[in-house]
Amino acid sequence: MSLLTIENLRVSFPGEQGAIEVVKGISFELGRERLGIVGESGSGKSMTGRSILRLIEKPGKVTADRMEFDGLDLMTLSNKRMRALRGARMSMVMQDPKFSLNPVMRIGDQIAEVLSFHSTLNARERRKRVLESLEAVRITDPERVYKLYPHEVSGGMGQRIMIAMMVILEPDLMIADEPTSALDVSVQAQVLDIMDDLVTRTGMGLIIISHDLNMVARYCDRILVMFNGEIVESCQASELANARHPYTQGLLASMPTLDEHRDRLPVLDRTQLGGV
Amino acid sequence: MMQLSHAWLVDENPETRFQAGAGQTYRMVRALLRNPLAVVGLVIIIGLLIVAAFAPVLAPYSPIESNLGARLLAPSADHWMGTDELGRDILSRIIHGARITLMIVLLVAVISAPVGLLVGTVAGYFGGWVDRVLMGLTDVFLSMPKLILALAFVAALGPGIENAVIAIAITTWPVYARIARAETLTFRNAEFISAIQMQGASHTRVILRHIMPLCLSSTIVRVTLDMAGIILTAAGLGFLGLGAQPPLPEWGAMISSGRAFILDQWWVATMPGFAIVIVSLGFCLFGDGLRDVLDPRNRTR
Amino acid sequence: MIDLKHLSIAYGETSVVKDVTLHVPEGGSFALVGESGSGKSTILKAIAGQITNWTGRIRLGEHDLQHGRDPALVRLCQMVFQDPFGSLHPRKTVDTILSEPLSIHGIRDQNQRVLETLDAVGLARKFRFRLPHQLSGGQRQRVAIARALMLDPPVMLLDEPTSALDVSVQAEVLNLLKTLREERGLTYFLVTHDLPVVSFLCDNLGILQQGQLIELATVDQLKQQQFNSEYGNELLSKSF
Repeated sequence: MSLLTIENLRVSFPGEQGAIEVVKGISFELGRERLGIVGESGSGKSMTGRSILRLIEKPGKVTADRMEFDGLDLMTLSNKRMRALRGARMSMVMQDPKFSLNPVMRIGDQIAEVLSFHSTLNARERRKRVLESLEAVRITDPERVYKLYPHEVSGGMGQRIMIAMMVILEPDLMIADEPTSALDVSVQAQVLDIMDDLVTRTGMGLIIISHDLNMVARYCDRILVMFNGEIVESCQASELANARHPYTQGLLASMPTLDEHRDRLPVLDRTQLGGV
Repeated sequence: MMQLSHAWLVDENPETRFQAGAGQTYRMVRALLRNPLAVVGLVIIIGLLIVAAFAPVLAPYSPIESNLGARLLAPSADHWMGTDELGRDILSRIIHGARITLMIVLLVAVISAPVGLLVGTVAGYFGGWVDRVLMGLTDVFLSMPKLILALAFVAALGPGIENAVIAIAITTWPVYARIARAETLTFRNAEFISAIQMQGASHTRVILRHIMPLCLSSTIVRVTLDMAGIILTAAGLGFLGLGAQPPLPEWGAMISSGRAFILDQWWVATMPGFAIVIVSLGFCLFGDGLRDVLDPRNRTR
Repeated sequence: MIDLKHLSIAYGETSVVKDVTLHVPEGGSFALVGESGSGKSTILKAIAGQITNWTGRIRLGEHDLQHGRDPALVRLCQMVFQDPFGSLHPRKTVDTILSEPLSIHGIRDQNQRVLETLDAVGLARKFRFRLPHQLSGGQRQRVAIARALMLDPPVMLLDEPTSALDVSVQAEVLNLLKTLREERGLTYFLVTHDLPVVSFLCDNLGILQQGQLIELATVDQLKQQQFNSEYGNELLSKSF
């Protein structure tokens, strides 16, 4: 049975001249695999991720024929049950740890907070679990990091802490929205390896949302390419070079390579694609 | 001939600077008018302006001539708001008083806002010891309670409207300096400032043409919201006899002299009170609406 | 055209740039690559005159840079910044942004020059009186490039000029930069972490690690993935 089933998801926001649809009826399934959703700004990829976790509030409107997580109908769940799900069974890692970690709470306390919401462990057990989770994201001195504040750690470590916080309850689904965009190249690889590791060990389903086609091709099993609110390509990551949709082909062709010999880079003709 | 039509104003591709500027103003005005409370505020302010402008025409009686035979009359068809202890028609006094109120409010705004804006942007832009000196100065003024400071100044300079205006302005500018400085600090190190500096712009040009325009909207909003406070401070000074001097129909002074009769002839003190409340409210509502339009991030909805 | 000799920059006790020496010939295109914290942006800011506490020598053409505000710098080099959203004043129209440098230096025929530069960067004239928030990221970056060109500087400093742009727009801007350099004989000094961009746009590169220049290489070496230094090859392997 697939972990996540989405059918005809639509997200719209009110605009000055009527509603603007940012996600235009997309459908896909996710098993216990790594799925990459790739697109540029305005493609609707972030909105897709947020609507799965029901993080889109009024005035945004989310509709779908079907949005099921492990048999549960996400569209009709009460807010209370949704809150119970978030963090425990499905979680989201966002782009910049600077903005997603509470700057006035110690790191250990923040992670422990997640546990206190969702479980009934006592303080000592919580601390133990937190230290374990920090070790799982390859932080070598978890005792020290436990007592630090977010501004005292680097971006890469902040992101790893974010991941620790999001997987401490061993969710079945993790959505990572541009998890490495704010990070240095060398740290990117490290963070992705950690997520990869977690997926393999726990059998978690992972959705990586990104604009970086190459990164996604390297770390995911399957890729969905979104353009202008629609899914234009769905393929195995290994088959990306054989992409069929002109948008994906255009995107791949327009990126410079390490061994670049072209005098000019080919440019996407958006009018042909019906976009803006 | 230019067409000032709706289509021309909302055109996405303006052809001249004028069209671009006019279009922007038009969009702002329309957004403002969509907010019913802001419209109420605007109506009140326009009302104040009209009343002040046409006071001699609108007022049925003279505001300063006494008529001891008609003392302390209740509101009636002849005197819509009754008469005061010297037989003067209260309505006429309030109408003429609008001029005084408006003058005080505008003068204070015109003096304190530019001073505050200049001090704040210069302090924020240069930083270092300039910032410390200017903010130290600002803090000195900020730390004193407004009314007391105004009192002190008026006591030193002598009572009267002009001195009241100066006194209130002196207590009001520090807030604008603080706001302008905070605003300046948010984009002091922005790339567009570095860019224009790299193109050879002098400090004066950067402050006047690049930084101040960005601080203007928050300053304007704050000034509008402060107007209520300024009116009340002026009324307070008038109440204490330190602002406008009799027989000038300043609203605060009217409340003060009406105190003695408050139990039996309530209208003498209350009518000017209503006037103050309504005008203050008008400025507050308009200021709020203005803030929503100029700085969408602070929407109170 | 650009000569850095023993350039060192330190903040208090911490040394951020350590004794960097390099040379970029006139009309050349050079990139400084490295990770964050390597000091590459700091070097760029020093050349741009934004940082003044450097030691050593910075020479642009025939002119040795002064510490502090150097008026000669304005006509010698201009910069294109990384963030198209942050590098344009939010309240000024494209026209104002482009004509202001001309006004500052008392250059006449502003109208003509503005139109010419808009054409040169591929921006339609209809964008002339728009405000930045009415432009897309790619269009904003074109305005930033146009602004840098207004004073005809021989040297262009480019701080990650395309990393904040969408992939599809990146190609357009890269093509534009290449064309402009060919047409005007500009000298480019680029700072980036994106090696494919270097491969497309540059002739030579310098690899920085923690403030030290580890290697100076040609772009041919990059294309054949044959750097001399271990760190250089490490960087290559991390680039997909």
